[in-house]
Amino acid sequence: MKDILRLVLVLTIIAAGAGLVLSMVEAVTREPIAEQRRLETLKALKAVLPPVDNEPDADTATLVVGQDKKGRDIARTFYRGRKDGQLAGVAFRVVAPDGYSGNIAVMVGVRPNGAVAGIEILQHAETPGLGDKIAQPWFKALFAGKTLDNADWRVKKDGGDFEQITGATISPRAVVSAVRQGLEFYRQNRQHIVAEGGNP
Amino acid sequence: MNLAREFGKGFWKENAVFKLLLGMCPALAVTTSAINGLGMGLATTFVLVCSNSVVALLRRVIPARVRIPAYIVIIASFVTVVQLVMEAYTYELYKALGIFIPLIVVNCLILARAEAFASKNAPIPAIVDGAGMGLGFTLGLFVLGAVREFFGAGALLGVSLLGESYVPFLLLILPPGAFIALGLLLAGMNRWEAKKG
Repeated sequence: MKDILRLVLVLTIIAAGAGLVLSMVEAVTREPIAEQRRLETLKALKAVLPPVDNEPDADTATLVVGQDKKGRDIARTFYRGRKDGQLAGVAFRVVAPDGYSGNIAVMVGVRPNGAVAGIEILQHAETPGLGDKIAQPWFKALFAGKTLDNADWRVKKDGGDFEQITGATISPRAVVSAVRQGLEFYRQNRQHIVAEGGNP
Repeated sequence: MNLAREFGKGFWKENAVFKLLLGMCPALAVTTSAINGLGMGLATTFVLVCSNSVVALLRRVIPARVRIPAYIVIIASFVTVVQLVMEAYTYELYKALGIFIPLIVVNCLILARAEAFASKNAPIPAIVDGAGMGLGFTLGLFVLGAVREFFGAGALLGVSLLGESYVPFLLLILPPGAFIALGLLLAGMNRWEAKKG
């Protein structure tokens, strides 16, 4: 009996000590981590939007874009970039579920006239050396200036306007289709996105 | 006890990657580039040194019957510390290493050193043992990562060396390439050591 108590006591003390240390480390790193995540979003926003002078991550509108498999709403945040108070562009994050390996998250920037200002690949797990070329500048540059009307939103292999990557058609196809769907949603809901809670 | 010998033992004579073939999961999975191997190795070294020192300090307190859960709690705590610190201060590396940071907990190398060495020795030798083993592991991951990055992407530490005309041998970056590269490295090393006598 006494033996068991000792086992329990030692384990409890070790676990409590570990908990104490972890809570201290968490307290110290909480702010830097939140800042890192904010900086990452801000960097992506800067890359996809035309030059702006506001803080797009503080000027947002959130809309429901659909339901997931369990019927819960999926919300999407639209970041509004302004220059001299005028709307210069809107950025939003789309997810391509049909990449070669897992989801591909893309930040898309749109000019007020509906043309893509730029895209940035936020997260992907595509094959190194093949599919991961979607993150290279030349591929991202393919999207600049494209609208729903002036381009055929398919890869060239499927008869569209977008150069694919040799040996990896699936990844660019997924990105192109996700950006197109994002643009379609933006066009249909432009009024709400630009207006809702719309103070600079 | 000869501290230099303890260090050399872990660093080369019983090198985790090349000699003991321990901790193969991170060794094969994250070494797509030299910098990933280096980062993973250093994170593991930190955890190993910390867990070895704490286990050695508590070696007379922890009853033998609950030693494994006690070691796991200690190791897991340090891994979480590493994870939080890396996310806060080296965000890019944190994202590159992804899932493999939490998996340092189950790296059998760390538990093996706690069990085989730290639980029977004083803190100073245990720290030296952890540093030697950890840096040896880092060396293994770095070499494997460098070989795979050089042939698989024509670059080293992210700097392109072989130029545009080089057609990368992609297989080495892909998962099967990890096994092949390690196998060839081991074969080369064994031959070299056999020749040396």
